[in-house]
Amino acid sequence: MEADVVRSEMVLPPVMPFKRVQMGDKYQKGQSRGRYWKHLKQLLQAENFISLPLDEPNYLNIESPPSMYPSKKYCDITGFEAPYVDPRTKLRYADPEVFKRVRNLPNDHVQRYLALRNAAVIIR
Amino acid sequence: MGEIRIARQSDYDLFSPTTPIVIDNGGSTFRIGWAGESDPRIMFRNVAFRPRHRSTGETVTVVGEHDPALFKYFDCTRSSWRSPFDNNVVYQFEIMEYVLDYGFDRLGASSSMAGKVDHPILMTECICNPVYSRAKMAELLFETYGVPSVAFGVDAAFSYKYNQNLGICAEDGIALSIGFMTTHSIPILKGEPLPEGSCRTNVGGYHVTNYLKEVLSLKYPYHAPSITWEKAEELKREHCYVAPDYPSELQIFKKETKEAEEKKWVWQLPWVPPPQEELPSEEELARKAAIKEKQGQRLREMAAAKRSQKITDLENELHVLETLLSQLDEAELPEVASSILARSGYLSRQEIESAHSRVSQSLRKARGEPAVTVEENTDTATSADKYPLVSIPDEMLTPGQLKEKKRQIFLKTTSEGRLRAKQKRAEEEMMRERQNQLEEGRRLENPELYLEELRAKYKELSEKIDQRKRLKTNGNGNGNGNGTGNGNNVSGGTGRGERLNAAQRERMRLLTTALFDKGKGEDTFGLKDEDWQLYKLMSKDTDDDDDDVVDPDEAELERVAAKLQEFDPSFVGRAEAELMQSTQEPPRPRALTAEDYQVVLGVERFRCPEVLFQPGMIGEYQAGIDEIVSHSLRRLPNLDSSIKDRMCQSIIVTGGGSLLPGLEQRLETGIRATRPYLSPLKIVRAVDSVMDAWRGASVYAASELFSTQTFSLEDYNEKGEDWLKRYNIVYSLYD
Repeated sequence: MEADVVRSEMVLPPVMPFKRVQMGDKYQKGQSRGRYWKHLKQLLQAENFISLPLDEPNYLNIESPPSMYPSKKYCDITGFEAPYVDPRTKLRYADPEVFKRVRNLPNDHVQRYLALRNAAVIIR
Repeated sequence: MGEIRIARQSDYDLFSPTTPIVIDNGGSTFRIGWAGESDPRIMFRNVAFRPRHRSTGETVTVVGEHDPALFKYFDCTRSSWRSPFDNNVVYQFEIMEYVLDYGFDRLGASSSMAGKVDHPILMTECICNPVYSRAKMAELLFETYGVPSVAFGVDAAFSYKYNQNLGICAEDGIALSIGFMTTHSIPILKGEPLPEGSCRTNVGGYHVTNYLKEVLSLKYPYHAPSITWEKAEELKREHCYVAPDYPSELQIFKKETKEAEEKKWVWQLPWVPPPQEELPSEEELARKAAIKEKQGQRLREMAAAKRSQKITDLENELHVLETLLSQLDEAELPEVASSILARSGYLSRQEIESAHSRVSQSLRKARGEPAVTVEENTDTATSADKYPLVSIPDEMLTPGQLKEKKRQIFLKTTSEGRLRAKQKRAEEEMMRERQNQLEEGRRLENPELYLEELRAKYKELSEKIDQRKRLKTNGNGNGNGNGTGNGNNVSGGTGRGERLNAAQRERMRLLTTALFDKGKGEDTFGLKDEDWQLYKLMSKDTDDDDDDVVDPDEAELERVAAKLQEFDPSFVGRAEAELMQSTQEPPRPRALTAEDYQVVLGVERFRCPEVLFQPGMIGEYQAGIDEIVSHSLRRLPNLDSSIKDRMCQSIIVTGGGSLLPGLEQRLETGIRATRPYLSPLKIVRAVDSVMDAWRGASVYAASELFSTQTFSLEDYNEKGEDWLKRYNIVYSLYD
C-alpha cells in the first residue's frame, strides 16, 4: 500500500479486534453477494402486511396517499408553467422559444428530461 | 455537511461497559458517540465503496468520504458508492457491517481487548421499520459484534423530545422530519409518538439535490462533468431557498424584472482565456512572403523543366516517325516496305501518318501554339470516301457489300450526330459566356441592385423547391398509407385537396387496375417478364428523385447560391443555416468568453426545493410535506379536535432537509390551508435540525431507566419475531 493511503487509514483493515466473526470468514471471496440481500420491495412482500389487522400501523400503512391537489404542469426546460405538450417527445414547454429548444434537443436529453419526471418509457 | 470527524478516538477504554453507544443511523449520515455527551464523536457519510487497489489487485473497502486525491491508487470504475439503505430501510447488511466496522473502529474499539463491542447500543431507525430489517440488524449487532443489549428508537421522536426538554415545543405536537429519502409527519401525544397517525412521503433532501444536479447538467451539458453530486449539494446548501408562493415567484422570473436579476446567482467555473494571438510583426510577414515566393519560384521552375522535357521527348518521337516515313517512301520494293513496317510495329502507312499528326499536334500544344484542328478537314474531306457505299443504291451491291453499307450508314449517322452535339454544346457555351459577361457588366455597374436581385431570386427558387418537396412528401405520406391493399382508401390522396402530378396519377391508375383486375379470365400476370416491370412503375422509391434529368430549378438554385457566396458576405446557404440551428453549442470559431463558463442559477434556486411540496414534479404522485401533516391528523379520528389544535401549535421541523430558508413560512401557508379557519398554528424549527436526533438519543440512553428498554440476545431468541415486531420503546423515561 502506498504511504499516504496507509497514513490516511482510509482502507478498512481485514481483521477488526472487536468482532467475533471477521468479514473475510463471513463472506467468502468471489461469491456474488448482491443478489443475496432482499430489496425493500421483496422485504415488504415477505412481510405480508395484508394478513395483519388494518388498523395497526406498518411500513405500508403509513405511506402517504396521492396528493389532493391536482398536479401543476411545469415546463421541463425552464420551470415555468407549461400549458403545452410537444406531441412528438411528450415534453412540456412554456412558450414558442422554448419549443424551438425542445425540438432541437438530442434524444438522450429528451429521455433524461422525461426520466426526471418519471415519465420516460423504459424499454427493457 | 460541516466538518466530518474521522479522527480515531483514544478514550474508548475509559468508558465502562454500562455506557451505551448511541448511533444515529441516518440515510445520509452515520453518527456515533457516547451516551450522555452533547455531540457525536464520529460523523461520516453513510456509504461504502469497494474499489480494487491497483498495485496489489485486492479489493478493499472504503467507508465515508476521503481525500479525493487518494483515489488515484484505486480502480474506481467497476464499483460505486453503495448505501445500506433502500429508501429509508436498511436492507444491505454487508455494507451496514462495513459502516459499523468503520464507526466502531474510529470510536476506538480497536484498542479494546474484549474481542467484542461490550456496550449497549441505542440505534435509530425509521418509524414502522419492517421487522425483517430490525431482526437482521439485531442479529448483526448481537452475533458479529457481541453487543450485550440493543434498543431501537425513531430519530424524529428523539429530536422532538430533545426540543421539548429545551422548551421549544410542548408535550403534544407534531414532528415533521425531512430526511434524506423520505419525510415523516409523526404526531406526538404526551411525549410518545403515535405510529398509527404517522404519515410518510417519499421525498427528501436526496430528491432536491438530484433534481438540481440533473437540471443543471441538462441545461449546461458542456459543464456536466463539473456538476458533481457534492457540488450540487453545496449549491443547494448555499443558494437554494423555498419560495413563499411558487406561482408568483415564477412570475417574477418570467417577467425578468430587476428583482429576478438580483435573485439570480452565477457560479463562475474556472476557465483560462485563450492566449491572445499576437499579430505577426512586419518582418514576420515579410519573411513569410519571401518564403512563399521562393516556393512558388521553385514550383514554376520544376514545371518549366518538365515541360521542356516533354517537348524534347515529343520531338524525338516525331523525328523517328518522320524517318520511318521517309524510309517507306524510299523503299522501292514492297517487301522492303513491309519489312520496315513489321519492324516498326505499325500496320500501315496510314497509321504512321496519323500517329505523326497526333504527335505533332501535341508538340504544338506543349509549345503553346494554337492547335490546328486537323480533324475538321479530314471529316469534311473524307465523308465521301469513308462511306463510299452509302451513295450507291442497294440493288447494285452484293450481300457482303450490303452489310458493309449498313455499317457505313451507321458510322456516318453516329459521327454526324456527334458533330451536331458538339456544335450545340459549343453554342451553349458561347451563350453562357455571353450571359456571364452581361451579368458581370451589370454587377460592376450596380453591385447593390445586383445583389438584391440575386437574393430575391434565391429566395424564390428555394421556396419553390421547398414547396415541391413538401407536396411530394405529403402526397407520399398519404399515398403510402393508403395505397397498399385496401381499395377503399385509394382516393384518400385526392380527397385531401392536393393535386396529384402526372406520375402519381399514373401510379394510382396502375394500382387500381392491378387491384381490381381479379377474376377476369385467367390470371396471366407472371408469364411475361415485362409484367414485373409494373412493380417498378408502381414503386415509390424509384421516384422523381432518381431522375437523370437534373431538376432545372435546383440547378439554377445552385448557380445563384454559388454567385451569392462569392459576392455577398452575409449570405448563408440553406444547408448551413439548418446546421447552425440544430447544434446546441455555439459555433466554434467564436472565441469562448467568461460567460460560457458560467452556470446561472435563476429559477433553479427555488424550483428544486419545490419538489418537497409538489412531488408531482419528479413523478411521485404523493402528497407534499405540508399536506402529510393534514393526512397524519386525519388518521387520528379518535382524538378530540382540541387536542389536534394543541398539536398544531407545536409543530417541529427537524431533519437535514429542513435547513432551506423560507421553509417554515411556506409550511405554515400550506398547513393552514388544510386546517379549519383561524385554528391556531405554530411551526418552529428544531434547534439543530441535523444533530438533535442524536442528541435526543444520547440524553435518552444516558437516563437510568434506559436499560429497561433494551433487549438482549436471549430476549430475542426466546420471544421471537412477533415480539420484535411489537417492540417499541417508551420515550418518556424521565419526566
